[in-house]
Amino acid sequence: MRYLLISCCFLLVSCGSYPSKNGFVVDEVSYPTILNPYFSNPDLDYVYKAQIKISDNNFGGILIVKKINNQEYRVVFTTEMGNKLFDFSYIKDGFKVNSILKEMDKKMLVNILKKDFKVLIEENPMRINSFRKNDYSIVQAHIYKKDHYYFFNKNSLEKIIRAKNRNENTRFIFSNIHNDIIKNIQILHSKIKLEITLTKI
Amino acid sequence: MKFKQIISTVTVFLFVAIGYAQEVKLSQQESNELRNNIKIKSEEKNSIKSEFIQLKHLDFLSNDIESSGILYYKSPNSIKWEYQNPFNYSATFIGDKLYINDAGKKSDLDLSSNKSFKSLNDLVVRSVKGDLFDATEFEISYFKDAQTYSVHFIPKDKKLRAFISEFIIVFDMKFFEVISVKMLENSEDYTLLIFKNQQFNQPISDAVFTN
Repeated sequence: MRYLLISCCFLLVSCGSYPSKNGFVVDEVSYPTILNPYFSNPDLDYVYKAQIKISDNNFGGILIVKKINNQEYRVVFTTEMGNKLFDFSYIKDGFKVNSILKEMDKKMLVNILKKDFKVLIEENPMRINSFRKNDYSIVQAHIYKKDHYYFFNKNSLEKIIRAKNRNENTRFIFSNIHNDIIKNIQILHSKIKLEITLTKI
Repeated sequence: MKFKQIISTVTVFLFVAIGYAQEVKLSQQESNELRNNIKIKSEEKNSIKSEFIQLKHLDFLSNDIESSGILYYKSPNSIKWEYQNPFNYSATFIGDKLYINDAGKKSDLDLSSNKSFKSLNDLVVRSVKGDLFDATEFEISYFKDAQTYSVHFIPKDKKLRAFISEFIIVFDMKFFEVISVKMLENSEDYTLLIFKNQQFNQPISDAVFTN
């Protein structure tokens, strides 16, 4: 019986989790009240030049993110010439496709985009744990029941990693941040050939 | 207080009255004359070079999204939208092909497989030229105010209406040139193109349309 317990413990440790695999140390870290402040000002229009690369296909356009009120966000993607490609609403925990170009209306793609943009706009996801590694304070939180790790460097959120089991699934990188406005955002998927690059205009 | 109330009531009344006076529907004869004048102008145009300002209005935004650049058109079917601000981007349409240069990243697209996009572009080109008067495709109505004519086009094709519920093209009264094109979507959102410093029938090198 004792050997069985030891074996089970060994199995658990070797399978481990994303934090243990990456050498995170459990710690009471200090982090801002709002985990992600970057799209939280309802007075601002967040407008980005966007590149969406799916496999070897590139879609350029303009991505617009707007906090309408405390419970509602809009995320709209248009071509540079102004034609709307998709228009999503996030209301409380709900999600609605207001319109989408027929060619983009694929359930899998919409689902991925829905989850990715939710990470951008979610200000206070449910916190699960906190860690430390090197200079980073790391907060583990849940969005759509999936693990997301928020990496803070000197109280500034620099990246979010979505993990599945032990492995990284999607990486959100924020750079050139001034007054809670991010100039450059990259969303990189590990399991599928999808890359979203956003540059503030 | 009473005086203030009277003033504000009169002001509101005046604004309403002015609002009604601003756009007047043209008579049948006036409409025919305008259409003929614009058609003559349109047929004279072998090339256009014009600065443009594009305002994307989305009802939920605090401000319109503004971009600007230069439009080139060369007969019979070459058109280039060169955005210079706030990003470098160009879309060149030659026949059924669309060539994109997105800040140096070049790509092309065959539009013959994407009919809705192609017809949308055809309409924009024709509207810039002022040549959109096909009654089989649109319900057309004509208006004027003190300085301009405006022509409203409602597409009859349901597929096209999914993108654009109405075009409004504004022409100046003196030369019948296109001042602006407003493309309304089904909701309250629209794209407004304002043209200025237009040059017509000046030579434009083919190199302009090379991606």
